[in-house]
Amino acid sequence: MTATAARADERIADVGVLRRLLVKPEFGALIGAVVIFVFFSIQSDVFRSPAGVANWLDGASTVGLMAVPVAMLMIGGHFDLSAGVQIGTAGLATGIMTTYWGLNVYASLVASLLLMLAIGFVNGYLVTRTGLPSFIITLGMFLGLQGINLGVTKQVTNTVQVSNLDLVPGYHLLKNILGSTVSVAGKPFQIAILWWVLFTALGSWALLKTRFGNWIFATGGDPNASKNVGVPTNRTTIALFMLTSAMAWFVGNTQIVRFGTIQAQVGIGQELIFIVAAVIGGCLLTGGYGSAIGASVGALIFGMTQQGIVYANWNSDWFKLFVGAMLLLAVLANQFVRRFAEQSRR
Amino acid sequence: MSDIEITEASEVSPGADDVPLLEIRDVTKMFGSVISLSDISTTVRAGQVTCVLGDNGAGKSTFIKILSGVYQPDRGDVLMDGEPVRFSSPREALDAGVATVFQDLAVVPLMAVWRNFFLGSEPTKGWGPFRRFDAETAKKITRAEMADMGIDIRDLDQPVGTLSGGERQSVAIARAVHFGARLLILDEPTSALGVKQAGTVLKYIVQARDKGLGVIFITHNPHHAYPVGDRFLLLKRGKSLGDFAKSEISLAELTRLMAGGAELEQLAHELEREGDKSETSALGRELLDDTKTLG
Amino acid sequence: MIRRTPRWLAAVLVPLLLVTACSSANSVNRPHNKAGGGSGGYKYKIAVVTHGGTGDSFWSIVKAGTQQAGKDMGDSVTYQSDGDPTKQSGLIDAAVNQKPDGLVVSMANPEALKAAVKRAVDAGIPVITINAGEAQSKSYGALTHIGSDETVAGQAVGTELKNQGVKNVICVVQEAGNVSLEQRCAGVKDKLGGTVTNLQVDNNNLPAAQSLILAKLQQDKSIDGVVTLGAQVATKAEAAIAGAGSSAKLATFDLNADVAKAVVDGKMLFAVDQQPFLQGYLAVVMLTQYKANLNVLGGGQPVLTGPTLITKDNAAAVLKLSAGGTR
Repeated sequence: MTATAARADERIADVGVLRRLLVKPEFGALIGAVVIFVFFSIQSDVFRSPAGVANWLDGASTVGLMAVPVAMLMIGGHFDLSAGVQIGTAGLATGIMTTYWGLNVYASLVASLLLMLAIGFVNGYLVTRTGLPSFIITLGMFLGLQGINLGVTKQVTNTVQVSNLDLVPGYHLLKNILGSTVSVAGKPFQIAILWWVLFTALGSWALLKTRFGNWIFATGGDPNASKNVGVPTNRTTIALFMLTSAMAWFVGNTQIVRFGTIQAQVGIGQELIFIVAAVIGGCLLTGGYGSAIGASVGALIFGMTQQGIVYANWNSDWFKLFVGAMLLLAVLANQFVRRFAEQSRR
Repeated sequence: MSDIEITEASEVSPGADDVPLLEIRDVTKMFGSVISLSDISTTVRAGQVTCVLGDNGAGKSTFIKILSGVYQPDRGDVLMDGEPVRFSSPREALDAGVATVFQDLAVVPLMAVWRNFFLGSEPTKGWGPFRRFDAETAKKITRAEMADMGIDIRDLDQPVGTLSGGERQSVAIARAVHFGARLLILDEPTSALGVKQAGTVLKYIVQARDKGLGVIFITHNPHHAYPVGDRFLLLKRGKSLGDFAKSEISLAELTRLMAGGAELEQLAHELEREGDKSETSALGRELLDDTKTLG
Repeated sequence: MIRRTPRWLAAVLVPLLLVTACSSANSVNRPHNKAGGGSGGYKYKIAVVTHGGTGDSFWSIVKAGTQQAGKDMGDSVTYQSDGDPTKQSGLIDAAVNQKPDGLVVSMANPEALKAAVKRAVDAGIPVITINAGEAQSKSYGALTHIGSDETVAGQAVGTELKNQGVKNVICVVQEAGNVSLEQRCAGVKDKLGGTVTNLQVDNNNLPAAQSLILAKLQQDKSIDGVVTLGAQVATKAEAAIAGAGSSAKLATFDLNADVAKAVVDGKMLFAVDQQPFLQGYLAVVMLTQYKANLNVLGGGQPVLTGPTLITKDNAAAVLKLSAGGTR
């Protein structure tokens, strides 16, 4: 046995460090991020200055926080088109409960978390129960929540936004936790960036180092095979949807706490941005493959490009064109890299 | 296949009072008014291979699903170690030591070999929220178990999808063996494989048998079944054409029964009479020759 | 604690229940007292079909105006909207089929709505256009147009900024492809005499809009003025200016409570209001009076509801009203 193992180890060495790196799903995105950073740094001094970095990291963090669970869900083989609109639902729920119903702010946070978990559960339950594509189920949830967000907000507030959270008792502590800034190199960095890094690390740890992570890859890779070896695929799927909703709760409340106000239309259209970040980060649309770190790097690329275009003094009308081109490039690069890596193993 | 040497099962020579690992008595399964399996009986002993042969629609998959707990029989008994058992779920069957390797192998192509090996039964270490998948142990065991089956996996991090068909089978079989299977059910493991690959899989079957497992080998190819089998159950349209020990049947007889026997002879004659010198007559003659030599 | 239990339950069921109110001592927002029932009794059926987005604060005020007028006049008012011209045209046809006594239409894309509006006119239904489509209103057969000229409003902003000595302005556009937003920026440019650069942001991702404005301010230190075209972006621009340590002056189109508050606090120079409530309210009132009395205001000349400037002087009073969703 030892002889066999030794021989096998020699062959591992043959595979080579570069190729082992190449098969990591986030590798392509990392290269892309470096290229884009260098590119915009040449275009603009401000882009690479601490103030500039603080700014594009802030933009990236709002996308990145959601991209992590969205990527995990994609690895598990599903989409959540309601991920964006749920951010609004969470923030609005907290806002209405505190500023209109006078509920304690922490009780409201717990209540809105329960609400979001319930929404995630409904998504997951319907997907597993009906076997319909999650695309359709969550599209329904997306449209439904859009209506609820607007309907309830207008019913309660008579306007399309909930304001004045900053006047609620207990707000300042929350603001420190979710919406304050940390001074680095004399420039204010949003604390959300720290949360983003933390959640990315947690997501990556869960994916690669836990049983649950193994089940996520398995459920997305081949649900039937997984079921046959005893993986609780339905529970995994439901948990992933609930995880996405829980993160929407975090992001939505970060927004309302940071600004003191939130609008009924918040998050609509963002769901696709999260998916774009996950795909740029190496997630397969068909599930079973991808990485949480990759999704965060995808969000970083998104944030850098969005702000970089402004720093480079280009016309921001063209921003979406760059995003589209980048998405296509990322997908093609990922496909090429994966083929190359897999061929080299034979 | 010729280059693979298949050794005969070591003669355990079970006594008459010896209790078989698994016994199936007059099992019947109906779906509505359709009889899918009717009065099927056979036995599987530890350290032996029972082959279940049949064409498409013979009831092989219903047979597997009853043993693996997906279906429950309408009539008849399944006995393990002489005790009647009734599996109401695949989990119960697994817990009783019945492991089924389905045709899709229950492996996830995009996942690494070691992740697949422990899929659904991951070893963990740590405590509470820090409980994590013990990757080192998993890799170590996977390598050892695979080596034990005579398979040398180059890179455990390699996705299973990049393995060859035979290697993939071996992962599934090694996994079943590791997780304490006493009875291994293999669903058409050789059907999608080339000659050489099929030979390798037959070798794994022998390995599992020699480890003392009872093996049920489902196939429609008598040439694959005969060299490794100790017992042969022939199914046709849900009925048993017979349950033979190896000493009771030759490969030729097995092939004839599988091919449809008398029916095939009749078909061959018909084709010859009608076609005369055309191509069909050639086919007919061939068929006739075949059945004669087998006869 | 026991008293709280049902509120807890309600809290969990927020979106399921359209709970109107349960105000409490520590609520900072009070549900607005919805205006009392109608006193008149014309009982006309008035249909309103606009292009406004459903989550847009501006259009929610227009809608509130039509509904208030309905109550005041004793009419029954239906409000439909769709930003897509084809669908809006379908909504107009559907409304006409109901044979209303009057029709209110906003025409962001007049050409696409031409046929539908003409069908309404041919069916003998009096039509008033609001907000957008002033140029075509008359030729399509509408009684009159109620709205605000975007270019005029933009020019008013440009003039006021020029008076304040502002020379280099970014004009923040929150909806791509909206003609009237481009007109506003163009109007500002007309009268400012300095540089005006357009900056595209997404109204549905306001944190990103804030970072974008911040980036622009960091990049070009000579920017001394920011003009936003919507109230929700305005508050984000305010934060961006503070974040960049810029001394740029901020002005915005449209109004909400946060904007009014910022003007009161001196963080915003002024807001230009086109009084959307009046656009909705007047349209219903005028249709009612036309139907009952054949009155037409100003001989069918367009009725302008704006621009009005909300400055430090009058912002406090407006602030009180904006909480009710009418300003």
